Amino acid sequence: MFEEASEVFDNMFKSSFPLTFIVFIPAVLILVSPLPADAAHEFTVYRMQQYDLQGQPYGTRNAILNTEARTVEAEVLSRRCVIMRLADFAFEEYQKALRQSAGAVVIILPKNMSAMPQDIVQHFMELEPEMLATETVVPVYFAMEDDELLSIYTQTLTSSSSQGSLSAAEVLLHTATANGFQMVTSGAQSKAISDWAITSLEGRLAGVGGEDLPTIVVVAHYDSFGVAPWLSYGADSNGSGVSMLLELARLFSKLYTYKRTHAGYNLLFFVSGGGKFNYQGTKRWLEDNLDHTDSSLLQDNVAFVLCLDTLGNGDTMHLHVSKPPKEGSPQFTLLKELELVSESQFPDVKFSMVHKKINLADDMLAWEHERFGIRRLPAFTLSHLASHRLAQRASIMDARSVSPSSRHGAGEPPAGPHVDVQKLSRNTKLVAEALARVIYNLTEKGAPGDLQIFTEQMVQDEQLSAVVDWLTAQPRAAQLVDKDSSVVSTLEYHMGHYLKDVKRHYVRADKRDPEFVFYDQLKQTMNAYRVKPAIFDLLLAVCISGYLGVMYLAIQNFGLLYSVARRVTQPKVKSH
Amino acid sequence: MTLFHFGNCFALAYFPYFITYKCSGLSEYNAFWRCVQAGATYLFVQLCKMLFLATFFPTWEGGAGVYDFVGEFMKSTVDMADLLGLHLVMSRNAGKGEYKIMVAAMGWATAELVMSRCLPLWVGARGIEFDWKYIQMSFDSNISLVHYIAMAAVVWMFTRYDLPKSFRLPVTVLLALCVYKAFLMELFVNIFLLGSWTVLLVKAVLTGAISLCSLFLFVTLVHSN
Repeated sequence: MFEEASEVFDNMFKSSFPLTFIVFIPAVLILVSPLPADAAHEFTVYRMQQYDLQGQPYGTRNAILNTEARTVEAEVLSRRCVIMRLADFAFEEYQKALRQSAGAVVIILPKNMSAMPQDIVQHFMELEPEMLATETVVPVYFAMEDDELLSIYTQTLTSSSSQGSLSAAEVLLHTATANGFQMVTSGAQSKAISDWAITSLEGRLAGVGGEDLPTIVVVAHYDSFGVAPWLSYGADSNGSGVSMLLELARLFSKLYTYKRTHAGYNLLFFVSGGGKFNYQGTKRWLEDNLDHTDSSLLQDNVAFVLCLDTLGNGDTMHLHVSKPPKEGSPQFTLLKELELVSESQFPDVKFSMVHKKINLADDMLAWEHERFGIRRLPAFTLSHLASHRLAQRASIMDARSVSPSSRHGAGEPPAGPHVDVQKLSRNTKLVAEALARVIYNLTEKGAPGDLQIFTEQMVQDEQLSAVVDWLTAQPRAAQLVDKDSSVVSTLEYHMGHYLKDVKRHYVRADKRDPEFVFYDQLKQTMNAYRVKPAIFDLLLAVCISGYLGVMYLAIQNFGLLYSVARRVTQPKVKSH
Repeated sequence: MTLFHFGNCFALAYFPYFITYKCSGLSEYNAFWRCVQAGATYLFVQLCKMLFLATFFPTWEGGAGVYDFVGEFMKSTVDMADLLGLHLVMSRNAGKGEYKIMVAAMGWATAELVMSRCLPLWVGARGIEFDWKYIQMSFDSNISLVHYIAMAAVVWMFTRYDLPKSFRLPVTVLLALCVYKAFLMELFVNIFLLGSWTVLLVKAVLTGAISLCSLFLFVTLVHSN
């Protein structure tokens, strides 16, 4: 048969060149063609943060993943992709996996994060900064749980945990029946994004009554932060601050349109970007205003700078200062007004001042007001958090995730940090009242403490809730919000609605000595391919050769069957 | 998975053909070219069938999960063309009955193996993803070899002038079974919701039964005169 075939081929090649061409080119093409991606399961994964800040690398340094999956229960983890579930995530196991030089870590997050038990959420929130604190060589990914992924996890768990204590035969049987999974990401290696611009927005309301009016600056950063940029929705930190800033802009723009209520203070609103990366937006804004331009509201007569950070929850309010305000200064007036208003109108809010000196030796500034403090501007931050170190400010758990029932007050509140619109509205009202009392100098004019300047209808819950909903509809991590992003343009439009001279400010990191570097490949598609170990192939080859041997014997001895058939049918023939 | 896995599947699919070719004595008859011709006829018949199907049975986008019995039945009726093709191959070869049957069936089945299984095996079994379906596909090709041998035998018997009257009915029934086997299998799968391994088993049993019946008929016919 083969001799004949080779003869045929020989003739074919000799006789006609085109035929060779037709036969061989496709053959070669098929041989070199890449293997198709026909995966058992395909899912989206979100990579852990990767950034450099002041030359210091943070987060995972790798994006490529092509290894077999294991769970932490397996004995050998080296060069394996370790899958963990958030429900039983432990930092020791995570570290153990990294110590054993695992190839990658994939952490499966539950679909409904707000339904998680409180202690797990709290625990994970505290781990987030620890995971980011040091540089991780291998890729770390987060995936949202679904049925397929859960089944992959369960199968991997059974195959990982049952190894080691079995006999050889059992192991052999196990390899034939159990499924392994090869996890493969489709993207390329992560690389630094060059020339990334962080956008900040400013807008103002000009006061009336002469030159050189004092200026009040209201600042909130809009970006969010979490262990994975694509999962950081930042509802409380700092969606609440931004929505409060926009509400204040709306309220005071209303007051400033009437001649009788137009006050002698300039109001400057600043929505800063890169707040979670040492307040880069604010830093550049200050440099632009103080060092480069001749005339700026920031240069002369700033009454105080009020930074809003994480105000959407809790029954406490802390005024963080780096230097206790002196008596007689506008800062001191605001402090007193805040105390007065919270005492007389909002008795359920516990107001206090927290004093913390700026630590210049620290890598990260604690609060946004410290940026202003360094430039000798009187500044402070309002927050319901008592300390800047609290995990709520940088967690992927900080999402809106409010079911429709709990939005109206009923139902369980979610376990993690979240925004309670009622409390956000109350806090907004408190701040607005205190600011108004400072601006119109009401205490010196003898107005009582419980005088309500803004009536119930003026602070609109729907407005606040809508802004928070919109802000948390997409992740707003600094490396995802570029200058064309809808977050920035909508914020700009929104500010332009109430404020004058809305301007953008861009920060780009210095080319030679960048203060911050972001990396791409933060969201990828991961494929889980079902695979079998090499020993399985060998086993299969043995079985197949056995089967073929039986086939060979059967065909060789076909005559037996034939004669049986003949013997059976013979009597029939005779009777015919 | 790996090239090795592809080798496994390929061996499983191809070696029974090779063994059959060698052991049935076809190689002694220099039947290689005749088999190739049978294969070419297979290609031609498939082309005609496809044209016919595409013309008269435009794709029916039925409701999800609804099995179109009549449509499928009509479609498998088109497989009658296979019988014609086999008959054509056998009528062009002179020789003993067994020889004619084996040449037609070998050529036919090998052409099918090459055309409809080699490429999926090459592409699929070599991929990273492991799936039993490639092993099943290889087993399936073994079954279809038996199927085509039986079918060719039945066609040969049917077209004989000296076929006794009493044989007419069983041969016709077997012929219909051969043609509608695929349809019947689909019906089973749809009604009993079989798993892929069970389907393979049922297919093997059904094909085995058809082949045994045709073997008995063949033996009776050949040795009766």
